[in-house]
Amino acid sequence: MKRPPEDRGGELRALFFESANELLQSLNEAGLELESRPSDEQVIRRVRRAVHTLKGDSAACGFHKLSELAHELEDVLTPQVAEACGGELAELVLAAADSFGAMLAAYQRNVDPPAVEALHALIKRLLEVPASPENSPVVVVQLPAQFAWTEYEQLMISEAVHRGEAVYNIALRIDPDSLMRAAAFQLIRNVLHGSGTVIALRPEDNLAAASVEIVEAALASSQSVERLKQRCRIPSIVSDVRIEFAATAETSEHELLGDVLEAQAANFVAGAAENGLATKASTPGSAAAAVSEATLRVEATRIDAVMNLVGELIIGKSMLNRTLSEFDQKHARDPLRAKLADAMAFQARILDELHKCVLKIRMVPVEQLFRRFPRVVRDVAKQCGKDVALEVSGQNTDLDKSILDALAEPLMHIVRNSVDHGIEPADERLTAGKPARGTIYLNAYHQGTQVVIEVRDDGRGIDLARLRARAVETKLLKPEEAQRLSEQDALNLIFESGLSTASEVTEVSGRGIGMDVVRTVLDRLKGTVQVSSKKGQGSTFQLRAPLTLASIQTLLFRVGGRLFAVPLSSVVEISRIADHEIHRVDQREVLRLRDQILTLVRLDELSRLRSIDTQPVKKKHFVVVIGAAEKRFGLLVDSLVGEEELVIKALPAEIISSDLVSGASILGDGTVVLILNVPAVLSRLSRANPLGAIA
Amino acid sequence: MKPFAALLRKDNQPVRYLVVDDSVFARKNLIKMIEQFGGEVAGEAGDGLTAIAEFNRVKPDIVLMDITMPQMEGIEAVERIVRQHADARIVMVSSVGYQENILAALQKGAKHFVQKPVKPEVLYEILRYVLSDDPNATGAPVALAGEHRS
Repeated sequence: MKRPPEDRGGELRALFFESANELLQSLNEAGLELESRPSDEQVIRRVRRAVHTLKGDSAACGFHKLSELAHELEDVLTPQVAEACGGELAELVLAAADSFGAMLAAYQRNVDPPAVEALHALIKRLLEVPASPENSPVVVVQLPAQFAWTEYEQLMISEAVHRGEAVYNIALRIDPDSLMRAAAFQLIRNVLHGSGTVIALRPEDNLAAASVEIVEAALASSQSVERLKQRCRIPSIVSDVRIEFAATAETSEHELLGDVLEAQAANFVAGAAENGLATKASTPGSAAAAVSEATLRVEATRIDAVMNLVGELIIGKSMLNRTLSEFDQKHARDPLRAKLADAMAFQARILDELHKCVLKIRMVPVEQLFRRFPRVVRDVAKQCGKDVALEVSGQNTDLDKSILDALAEPLMHIVRNSVDHGIEPADERLTAGKPARGTIYLNAYHQGTQVVIEVRDDGRGIDLARLRARAVETKLLKPEEAQRLSEQDALNLIFESGLSTASEVTEVSGRGIGMDVVRTVLDRLKGTVQVSSKKGQGSTFQLRAPLTLASIQTLLFRVGGRLFAVPLSSVVEISRIADHEIHRVDQREVLRLRDQILTLVRLDELSRLRSIDTQPVKKKHFVVVIGAAEKRFGLLVDSLVGEEELVIKALPAEIISSDLVSGASILGDGTVVLILNVPAVLSRLSRANPLGAIA
Repeated sequence: MKPFAALLRKDNQPVRYLVVDDSVFARKNLIKMIEQFGGEVAGEAGDGLTAIAEFNRVKPDIVLMDITMPQMEGIEAVERIVRQHADARIVMVSSVGYQENILAALQKGAKHFVQKPVKPEVLYEILRYVLSDDPNATGAPVALAGEHRS
């Protein structure tokens, strides 16, 4: 598939932004590490590498201000400066991450990047701290090399790095005058083996060496770069040497990206980029191939397109199924039947597999979201002058990328809130007999077809009395109503808009968005948010969202002749009741089910649906008990149709005016199914006015 | 007139060489160069067996070893010497046609190789390099004449 060059450039830009954001993330993490260990050389080296990559990539993309800033920053990032200025380096790295972030955002919107004078000033001040004149540890010589190690070799490299060994990427040019290349290569091998542990070597054997000009190696060595360079400059064998720190598995992709971008830049722009990693235009193909070996970055829309097609296939499958069963009835004795059924079963199995695979592509570990939080907690804690630790678990839990993205904002809000309002100041904690340092726990796990994300703090808990008072103050509830609320209902008040228990609006939480936004987002995701709290012991927020938005397992049923579906995950049980078991209390129909009182809902009344078929009034009814976030209700249905996996089709707002329906789907026979929005039904039920007023 | 700064050992003494070649002419040629480099010829040998005996006797800093010799080939001599003295510095001297043999010698532990006809400036660089193999040494491989002892 050939593309016009501009398109390819756009794709690279997108790739750049994505990888740049990852680099920013690693800067943030490194900044936090530097805060606790100010002169950790490993960390500084990592920061340097990230900044260096950012410099090269942004220059290749033509973002010169960013590239210049990265260049300036690179000069400061030496162990010497770190030693001289102590903890200030951490501040610098974090500030730089913020500045880079602002610039990137500006570039992404195609506007001029903001001036970052504060950062420039900070860099300048740090540079004035006398630094010893020792050379930078990274020696970059112009020598084309790929360092395209295999996944296994990259793993070995990162393992060696994690063991604390220094790993170098070494490229050697065999002297073009050398007539005995195989011998030359053997000698190079000897020298490399004599200088450390050779993790990777290209070419791999003497035979291939006869035609090769450049030898590349990854070497773990305790020797200094200078010394290695000197050892590698083998007279009459090697004419050119390039040594640099090997990127570990996490960052190697970026280094390669740099190569690709630069090769690209060399094609577009006259005059190569100033970066030392420049690869000439002849090699982008192989470098790009190396990138695709490990991971593939694909636009989300393309995956969505595949997803949609798989959805259509599923509809097609149920069409076929339907046709087959008609065929069955008409030609019960036809021997073709069995063959058709076999083929159908086979196809269904493959389709199921395909569906799962596509879903898996969209899945990302929740860590992508969680890794932002150490910085958030640190910043908020600093602003409120508190000491707060963050403990994270369940990072490997997978969920749909679009859900992950949607959860970012609500989660951010909850965590900020927990630090700001949940955790008490140190003196208050000490008086209460708690450790001075508060802790926020982030956890994620799967439960059925849902993913649960928990935010727990060991703070003061939510003040119910104050919540009730606020609800009355803001005229949300009458005083007597407020008192009547159960504890859980009172807690849930925090999700109402305009309610904040913080006695003063702070910079952190008083930003206009409240917990109501959290609930809105989760409603949209067909998820729930629950809160529990114990005075003096802390609060827990539980966000539940479906693993994927693309399709759901549903229960199909009919009400008033229309077909509805409800997510199977919210169905608690199905029961059959007789007419006389339904009672009326307070204008609502209720049912006593095993000592529990269940509010009954008639969908046709609730949504003012006109019955399209007039059935005789039945004596027996099916009740589908639906539960979400501790709440239950019973849905009276005319008949049950069965379970079905539905591919959700988005509905334009002008078609459906009711919030009671969250989407629609098409069955194999072309019937349209409306999917019930459980949270919306619940919220109608919990309103103070009785249902009759709505219906 | 010496065009080369003398290659000296770390202790500022002249480097001691063992020159192994079955051709007297070739030995003389090499010895002339060694003297140009400020070195001292500690021994000579015309075959592999003698080379091993001479190595054990004079403990040279560097061996210049021809590949093809009577009695015992250079490769075997390299193998035997390195087996006893792992730190022996042996530089193979050979014509281009013997790449296979050089490869073998390198695998047995030879440190470098130089092609015949040997050019003094090439040999000089190679010797300088081979002498700098002490992992504790930094920067300049060996002390050069006129420099202070470090």
